[in-house]
Amino acid sequence: MAERADDRLVRLLGLVAYLDGAGPVRVEELAERFGVTPRQVREDVDALWVSGTPGYMPDDLIDFDAFSLEDGVVSLIQARGMTRPLRLGTREAVALVAALRAMHASPAVQADRGRAAVVASALDKLTAATGEAAGAVDVQLEGDGDPQVVAAVTTALAEGRRLHLRYVNAADVTTERDVDPLRLLTQDGAMYLVGWCLRVDGRRTFRVDRILDARVLDAPVTERDVAVAGDLGADVWASVAHRSAPAATLRLASAARWVAEEVPAESVRDLPDGTVEVRLRVTNPAWLRRLLLANAPDVVAVDPPDVARDVAHAARAALDAYATTTADHPDGPVG
Amino acid sequence: MPANPLDPAPGARAERAADAAPSSRGTPPAERLLNLVIALVNTSASMTKQQVRAGVAGYGDAPSTEAFERMFERDKDTLRALGIPIVTVDGGGHSDEVGYRIDNDAYALGAVDLTPAELGVVALAAQLWSDKTLRTDMSRAMTKLRAAGAGEVAADAVAGLAPRVRAAGDAYVPLLEAVSERRDVSFRYRAASTGQELTRHVEPWRIAARGSGWYLVGFDRARGAARVFRLSRIVGKVRVGSQAGAFDVPEAVDVDAMLGERVGVLQRARLAVVPERAQALRARALPGDGGARADGRDLVEVEFRSLSAFADEVAGYGPAVVVLEPPQLRADVLRRLSAAATLDGPGAAEEPEESAQGAADGAGEGSHG
Repeated sequence: MAERADDRLVRLLGLVAYLDGAGPVRVEELAERFGVTPRQVREDVDALWVSGTPGYMPDDLIDFDAFSLEDGVVSLIQARGMTRPLRLGTREAVALVAALRAMHASPAVQADRGRAAVVASALDKLTAATGEAAGAVDVQLEGDGDPQVVAAVTTALAEGRRLHLRYVNAADVTTERDVDPLRLLTQDGAMYLVGWCLRVDGRRTFRVDRILDARVLDAPVTERDVAVAGDLGADVWASVAHRSAPAATLRLASAARWVAEEVPAESVRDLPDGTVEVRLRVTNPAWLRRLLLANAPDVVAVDPPDVARDVAHAARAALDAYATTTADHPDGPVG
Repeated sequence: MPANPLDPAPGARAERAADAAPSSRGTPPAERLLNLVIALVNTSASMTKQQVRAGVAGYGDAPSTEAFERMFERDKDTLRALGIPIVTVDGGGHSDEVGYRIDNDAYALGAVDLTPAELGVVALAAQLWSDKTLRTDMSRAMTKLRAAGAGEVAADAVAGLAPRVRAAGDAYVPLLEAVSERRDVSFRYRAASTGQELTRHVEPWRIAARGSGWYLVGFDRARGAARVFRLSRIVGKVRVGSQAGAFDVPEAVDVDAMLGERVGVLQRARLAVVPERAQALRARALPGDGGARADGRDLVEVEFRSLSAFADEVAGYGPAVVVLEPPQLRADVLRRLSAAATLDGPGAAEEPEESAQGAADGAGEGSHG
């Protein structure tokens, strides 16, 4: 995997600017700071060593102390004027400031005053340093959830304590359970708590707006070697989809294409008539029924037939309920 | 590794290079770029292209003038994208040739004195994005901030948080460039209600992410009015106009008001819910006059904003939840249920429905609120 030249350039310049301010630094420490291997740091030093101003006589070149490098310490002798840290590009500054702004306004951050203050000061400093205040990009991390639930979850995460939850799942079944919190994820207007559920002794994902009640327990979380995927989608969808689960094939009108983009589809096929064929493996039939009920106007076909029957049956029962249920409270119009 | 870097022999670069990488055939692009930056930062006035070609390590590798020109132009673009602006300087009386240099003040990052906790916050913010392009940008930004001497990262302040934003897609980069430089754009746009693609010509004001969608807010020239576009409905490439500063962005762009049609104003729904069911809805119930109805269902009042998102949610409960009010929500849920009721039938929705309602929110374009 060859590194992109521009990424390497940024690090090469960054190394010189950093070393100029920091003095001699161990190779391993530099590697950690810049997120590369010690070997890469040595290669970077080699590249810097042969770079400089035209002429490229010894005095023209960036220079290091060769003896300290043999001892594993990088010591800059000559920076050739490259001492100032590189500013952020427009895209970088815009994206970083927008991300900080979104985080600052998010319920998960606002649930804790100290946390909100740290995010605010980081945002202020970056806005000042980059001059990026125009806000070309405006991101909101919404996420419905009872503020008390969000506060309990963030407190438990920060203090490493166990939570007691009352939770209602997609099948509308309410359970109580103790959970060791691992992550509070925010995506697509929803918050998800990833945690180790002690009731099932496994990792589970909970939608925060389905947590009916959350209490921080005195018990600390149990240390476990649980990998939390960097990929959020994987975490969220692991609860509904699995490779070994039964497959369902949905043919959707183009307006419902987002389904193909948002659920963990096994395959997605564009058909000549403009429809999309999505193949899913779903562990939770209640989840699939809800998906189909909600998007039925854009569902062209469902396979296998028993999935279609299940959904149609639920829909007909609902239509019957509508036929017999009316607003019998003469309270006047709703505000 | 150089055996003796203090060797005063001429051609020290070649010698060191030979020691460092005996088999290298040319200068790697990153090193060519590095030498260009060093040269243009250190030049007393400016350097002409010829001086770059003859003097800067790596450019001598170009086999022809054309190859050199291409290389140099590409490198300038790369550096500009990194936030290293190369300015052109008029050759003056001596020559017709334009000179190049790097403006040292525009080059440097202003002082950012981030505490470890703040750097932890910034590192987390850098992980917000899902797009590959944006993630690359962010990792570069973090390299720059670390080079600025920011302390160690301490993530305690944001322990366990993982905010993410859905990928914005290919339109993001050109649109951001256009917004930043106030250039007009044109693109093919698919109206969800009809599936029809039309070319739209837009003065872009803002890019916004709300819920699961990315939007462009701007002035639609053909319609003579402010409009909102969903990035996922942009088809193909975004063409960016050649003129910077081509329009003015209104002083205050109220993104939420413009997205209002989509995001929706806050409304109250009255629902008849089967006892013990729809606990997640009940958890959001407004306090007050709930309670049992004559038909055995509970009256539950809930506030919602997006009509279509809430209709999706309610329809998902099937017979457990019946909408009493407002009428539009009731109609939207009934439309979903009626379609679902025929999914197992022989005539099961042969044609995709394309009514305007089917577009629902986030589908078409909103108008200025």
